[in-house]
Amino acid sequence: MRSTPVIAIKQLSKIYGSSPANQFYALKDVSFTMQEGEFIGIMGASGSGKTTLLNVISTLDNPTEGTISIAGTDITRMKSGELSDFRAKQLGFIFQDFNLLDNLTVYENIALPLSLQNMAVSQMKSKVNEVMEKLGISLIADKYPAMISGGQRQRTAAARALVHKPALLLGDEPTGSLDLKNAVSLLETMKRLNEEDRISILMVTHDAFSASYCGKIVFIQDGRLVQELHRTGSREVFYKQILDVLGDYGKAAASAASPIFEASYAQERR
Amino acid sequence: MLIKLALSGMKSRAKDYMILLAGLVMSISIFYMFQTMAWNRSFTEANAVIDSIQLVYIMGSFLLSAITLFYILYANGFLLSLRQREYGLYLVLGARKSKIRSLMFIETIAVGILSLGIGLTLGFGLSALVGRLMAAQLQVTLTGYHAIYGPAVLFTVVFFVVLFGLSALWNQLKLARLQVLQLVHDHSQADQLWKSSVWKRVLGVLGLIALGLGYFSLTFMEQLREIGLFTATFMTPIGTYLLFMVLLPPFVAMLKNRNSLRGIRAFTFGQLSFRINGLTKLLATVAMLIALGAGAIAGGMAFINDAKIKSESYSVYDIIVHDPLPEEEKVLNAIPFMDRLQYRYKVEHGKLYYARADLEKQRPLIQSQSMQGKKDADQLIRITEKLPVGEAGSEAASSAEWDSFLWTIAPDQSMDYLILEEDKFEAIPVEAKSIVIGKTNDFLAHRASWAALDELSISKHKDGYMPWSKFQYYQNTMGNASGTFFMGFFLGIAFLAMMASCLMFKVLSGAAKDILRYEMLSKIGVRREKLIRSIYQELFLVFLFPGIAGVLHVLVGMRLFAFILEEPYYKLWIPLVLFAVIYFVYYMLTVKLYQNLVLAGRKKAVV
Repeated sequence: MRSTPVIAIKQLSKIYGSSPANQFYALKDVSFTMQEGEFIGIMGASGSGKTTLLNVISTLDNPTEGTISIAGTDITRMKSGELSDFRAKQLGFIFQDFNLLDNLTVYENIALPLSLQNMAVSQMKSKVNEVMEKLGISLIADKYPAMISGGQRQRTAAARALVHKPALLLGDEPTGSLDLKNAVSLLETMKRLNEEDRISILMVTHDAFSASYCGKIVFIQDGRLVQELHRTGSREVFYKQILDVLGDYGKAAASAASPIFEASYAQERR
Repeated sequence: MLIKLALSGMKSRAKDYMILLAGLVMSISIFYMFQTMAWNRSFTEANAVIDSIQLVYIMGSFLLSAITLFYILYANGFLLSLRQREYGLYLVLGARKSKIRSLMFIETIAVGILSLGIGLTLGFGLSALVGRLMAAQLQVTLTGYHAIYGPAVLFTVVFFVVLFGLSALWNQLKLARLQVLQLVHDHSQADQLWKSSVWKRVLGVLGLIALGLGYFSLTFMEQLREIGLFTATFMTPIGTYLLFMVLLPPFVAMLKNRNSLRGIRAFTFGQLSFRINGLTKLLATVAMLIALGAGAIAGGMAFINDAKIKSESYSVYDIIVHDPLPEEEKVLNAIPFMDRLQYRYKVEHGKLYYARADLEKQRPLIQSQSMQGKKDADQLIRITEKLPVGEAGSEAASSAEWDSFLWTIAPDQSMDYLILEEDKFEAIPVEAKSIVIGKTNDFLAHRASWAALDELSISKHKDGYMPWSKFQYYQNTMGNASGTFFMGFFLGIAFLAMMASCLMFKVLSGAAKDILRYEMLSKIGVRREKLIRSIYQELFLVFLFPGIAGVLHVLVGMRLFAFILEEPYYKLWIPLVLFAVIYFVYYMLTVKLYQNLVLAGRKKAVV
């Protein structure tokens, strides 16, 4: 057993809507732990609750019930200012649409999390250069986001997410707006970071190919965790396994939908 | 269907339209306020001090129209930017461009009619209110002033209809050139970065020359006269625009580079350095408006002050009473004079006789020659020249100081005077009368007494006699000056309010693009307070640059009045403070509104 888990979620629920009549469970009784150095993917259909889960973990949204602790800190009891500081120190984000600041250069974008913590310029420089080197974007340091390609932008975003050595890297469909070549290159980079630097990564995706880079996949459906899939063999085999699981869910969902439809139809006729 | 679509689109963005409408209404009501003055010819003629005030009005009218035109273009650009994506969506869904065009036309006209209606109504109220306030404060009647004035209404309506027509046309042209995809993805277009070039340097030099010429003509207005007025009116704005366009972006870029690794400041200046390119022209406009606004108020106040100075130096003694009645004595005795003198005189055969002893013993105060025209009471001295005793015209009887003093106090200034020794004076077979003259420390403090004495003096003479006293003179100049003050104040507030709403407008219309940036910053862990501080700081700089330029313009520009006013810089701090207060209020308002636009979404997401 390793030390403190990176994420420990216990009986987490998120309810939308205040009146009991139209309450809707976006997350229902979710429990889940992630150990340090894991690379986990969260998969599920649209509206299954995967983005809500990510938002709650990333402290952007607060749960209705249950507790979450990240790197040993219970974040459900923090105030908004403390949450901001926590995000700044412990979390790194990669978003689908990059979210770079187009009024800062690549270098300045990456340095932003460090400079927000008032780090000395010399210290900052070495850290930013290191992470730029690792992600292969040293040459575009002085360019503005509008002048570089989508792949380079996403690498910049990744560098910004990693530069302050967060406890956890969170990705929200990080390959969502990249073409295949750039997506593969980003995923390879993430895998390398995970394996070589033991960075814990949690990534939300609906794309089986991206998910196949993970070490573990958690499937979520209607706000519940329904299945975990561990990678045992090669990535190709894992990819097939994921597709099978997704296929099963597709079939199950289709057959589940038809009896309900028929029942309600019958009810209405009565 | 088309109208329904247009209306529903407007309804869904009611809040943004409120901002737009508020700006337009303000612009229209201010324009109307101004027109009531410009077209009320009887009012300007009855209240203005100088003949060439009409020229000032024409200049003012021209400037106001030009600025209003810019303002309307901004407002309509804002309108287009609000609906751009929606129009794009309609086009994608298969609407024809001609349909979109008429949709947009309907909207522009609807906004125009609505703002004209509200603006004019507000304009009536505002004109009436401000007019009454001024009249009450200055204790004058504003002859010929009407709050609701036909020609002004007509002109305002025609002017704005033409403007709205032009801007509708402008939007049509802009839309025709745009591609569907550009409309849909308007947000993703990045702003351009500033780059140095030879062309820009030339423009910078030209700007410096133009501003120099403008300042030069303002400083030497007295010599240049009308030519100076024209040069200043054209060169100063041109110089301001060029310098703002050429100097501001590199300056901000420098600020940005200095702070590029200092946390949130990096973001603040980065944000500013991109924003500033689109802002330079507006900031120059704002600087000009500040100058005009504060300058107009300062000018009006200087005129009022001038009236005081001029009446103060009109004569040394505050009151001159000939042959006082008991009632007059009573009033006189109640006044705490610092210097009160009494001389006997006799009138015989159209000649005035003074007793030498009286004058010798009570030498009156006069202004020391070198300090003539200055208000300084310390520079008053007693007459030292020898009394011109004897026949006028003889060698002994020439003393300029006594001459001018005795002329001032004479009961009838057409008579010659003679100063006699006591025995000769006594020998004249007429009853001696007396002249009482008095000076207080503060002329303005005893206005009621002066008025009462003037009143008594008129009733004493009974034959429609008008005393030409210092107080009369004061009242007259003050009446003229208050008219000018009224115009200056009116104009000044109009300019200040318009410029601030211009700036507010521009900043707010860009807010939509910034929402994502602030959202992202908060996601990566920037505290809300820090983001708010960044907004305060950024907008402070945006407001600061034109503020400084505007104040500089005022400081130089007040020289313009040097040829009609004694002290054009008198109490300049009052209009400057007034400006600072108005400006600060708009700054805070802009920060708050902007904050609501860019940070509201985050609040919902996190809490």
